[in-house]
Amino acid sequence: MKNRKILLFGYGNHGKYIAKGLVEDGFKVQVIENNENFYNNALDEGFTDACKIDVTKDELLMALNPESYKQLVCVMDDEHLNVFLTLSLRSLFKKSYILSISDSIHTTKKLQMAGANMVIDLYEVSANKIHNILNRPVATQLLEEFVVHKNDIGFRELIIPPKSFLSGLMTDDIDLSEYGVLLVGLIDEERGHHFEFITTGINHKLDSGDTLVCIGKEEMLNNFVDLINKKEI
Amino acid sequence: MNQILLSIALFLRASIRYKSSKNFIRDILTNSNNPYKKYVDITIIFLIVTSIFILIYEVKHPVPKWLYIYDVYFVSFVFSIEYILRLWVYNNITESIIKEHKEAHFLGRKFTPMKVFKDGLLEKLKYIFTPSALIDLLAIFPAYRPLRVLRIFVLFRVLKLLRYTKSINQFTEVLSNKKFELLTLLFLLFFIVMTAGIAIYVLEEGFNQNINTLFDALYWALVTMSTVGYGDISPVTQEGRIISILVIISGIAMISFATSVIVSAFSEKLSELKENRIIEQVNKSKSFLLVCGYGQMSKMFFRQYGAEYDNYIILEISKERMEQARKDGYDAIHEDASRYETLSKFNTDHCDITVLCLTSSDVENIYITLNAKSISSNIKVIARANDFNMVSKFEHAGANHILMPNRVVNSMIHTAITKPTMYKAIHAILTGKSIARVDEIRAYECEIMIGKTIQYLEFKKAKLLFMGIQRGSTFMFNPSRNEVVQYGDILLVMGREISLKYFISLYNGVSE
Repeated sequence: MKNRKILLFGYGNHGKYIAKGLVEDGFKVQVIENNENFYNNALDEGFTDACKIDVTKDELLMALNPESYKQLVCVMDDEHLNVFLTLSLRSLFKKSYILSISDSIHTTKKLQMAGANMVIDLYEVSANKIHNILNRPVATQLLEEFVVHKNDIGFRELIIPPKSFLSGLMTDDIDLSEYGVLLVGLIDEERGHHFEFITTGINHKLDSGDTLVCIGKEEMLNNFVDLINKKEI
Repeated sequence: MNQILLSIALFLRASIRYKSSKNFIRDILTNSNNPYKKYVDITIIFLIVTSIFILIYEVKHPVPKWLYIYDVYFVSFVFSIEYILRLWVYNNITESIIKEHKEAHFLGRKFTPMKVFKDGLLEKLKYIFTPSALIDLLAIFPAYRPLRVLRIFVLFRVLKLLRYTKSINQFTEVLSNKKFELLTLLFLLFFIVMTAGIAIYVLEEGFNQNINTLFDALYWALVTMSTVGYGDISPVTQEGRIISILVIISGIAMISFATSVIVSAFSEKLSELKENRIIEQVNKSKSFLLVCGYGQMSKMFFRQYGAEYDNYIILEISKERMEQARKDGYDAIHEDASRYETLSKFNTDHCDITVLCLTSSDVENIYITLNAKSISSNIKVIARANDFNMVSKFEHAGANHILMPNRVVNSMIHTAITKPTMYKAIHAILTGKSIARVDEIRAYECEIMIGKTIQYLEFKKAKLLFMGIQRGSTFMFNPSRNEVVQYGDILLVMGREISLKYFISLYNGVSE
């Protein structure tokens, strides 16, 4: 990935964990806080370049040069400030990708109106989870393990390289299970740049440049990536 | 004699059959949570209603012989059996005798089972004289036709219905709370009726041809007092009329007093009655949810999935939020889920109960978890933990699932940043919406599937993506095509809901 820089506003309840996770995945994270305690926590926990600024001041936000970052993530503990920050960032930087967290039912809509590209609603996610646990306990447990790559099984997205043996094939005719991976869905560039699940029943024609989302054992996924990168088989 | 009593007691105690049948009968007669009790109730109610109907019909029409036999012999027979059974299960003499034997042995004193036996019988006698037992006993006798007065026995059968109608029980229960006020009122009534009755008797006897006895005078006083005023007896003298005025005024006061006592008793108990009704309703279902706390989490859960759950109760400790839940259209009661009494009201023996601890306090959630688990280990608990450090405590407390909203959302944000294209996929899968539900198929629900190999199962036909098999505690991802499906297996698949339904219909043996 070209740009792996993330501008993270907030090092409170959520920011702390998100920052650590991102660093583990090799992202470069710039932490911004306006709360003294959280700022000190960030310094103590290794984010030595963390900045403490008043996020309500536009000129200070401009100085951060947010446009050079891949994403702006707003996860401040104070939800009012979070909405305000999202709104300021959107009005200042039209093109940036802004992700915000919503800590209450009523905030989600406000954040969307403020211009966040993606809002993750704490309560919506949790409510879904309760429903899933009640109705499909085994599937829920397994899925979660897939997402965090426990059991060695995980999701992977891979782009079909030019002249791969896959290009030209139809999705109904290929069976990836013999390679130890399952095709969950894909982005078929012919049909527009959006993700579609394989179970929608559409028979896609694979071309180079299409993105496949697969699930499988880490090792099998690696083998499969090597395989499709070979020009011919 | 003592030895005979002891050996009978020991024999009965050793008999598992005796014990289990006694427990069964006690449960079916007295425990309203027993799912079979309603059949007993319905049978008895049917017998009562038919027997009353027969008597009413008989007043004007001749009754066929078989109906007569049914009423006089069959109904009475069933009622007497019921009466004997109730008397039998009321207390346990056997246990008392054995306890007495042990105590006597321990203290080295003389073994006197007769005393205990008598005490046991006395207790049974006490039961016989309780109002409901008396009604049961009198209801056994069929209405004796030839003597008109004895037809009154049918009244006891009507009264017996009371035992089976909950609202009447609740009515008496509510009124018994106002015992003091009602007794005062009754005493006052008695006093005024007596005074007015005696006064009118003394003043009008001889002048009024309708008042011949003291009973006539008392009857007049009560009829006037109650504002019924038949008019068959009325005062004719000046003095008598003055008495009437006083009686009428005090009558109005008495009636308004009585009305206000009863109304206030009900308004005090109304919310409790309503809550009991909700609990009873839910206790009748096979499985239900107990949602503890109506905060943001519960609100969201109900807003999104409320329609899918029929059997649930929200327990909320704050009155305000409980009202809010009711306003939002959900069944909520004002109770503290961390109290033993609250959770033990629910039918833990015959229902699958899942408790959702969703309050915002971890301490409260742990307490509720422990409370639920201490009542019955059958209760499933899904607890919310806000602090990661609390997880081990929840595990100790016995929570079946621990939900960590912060962790869930953090991992979602992480995925959204690191794998943006996949985020949508994973989000859709996790939320289980529309096209990409990941769901489980239990092999025992699709019997035709058992014993077949994976390659013969028509996942492709149903447009499902087969992901693996959960067998015991291990998950087999993408197993070999020759793997045979076993009884306890859970198959993990992804696809639309309709695909899943279609697939299940292919294998559950219900459709063609």
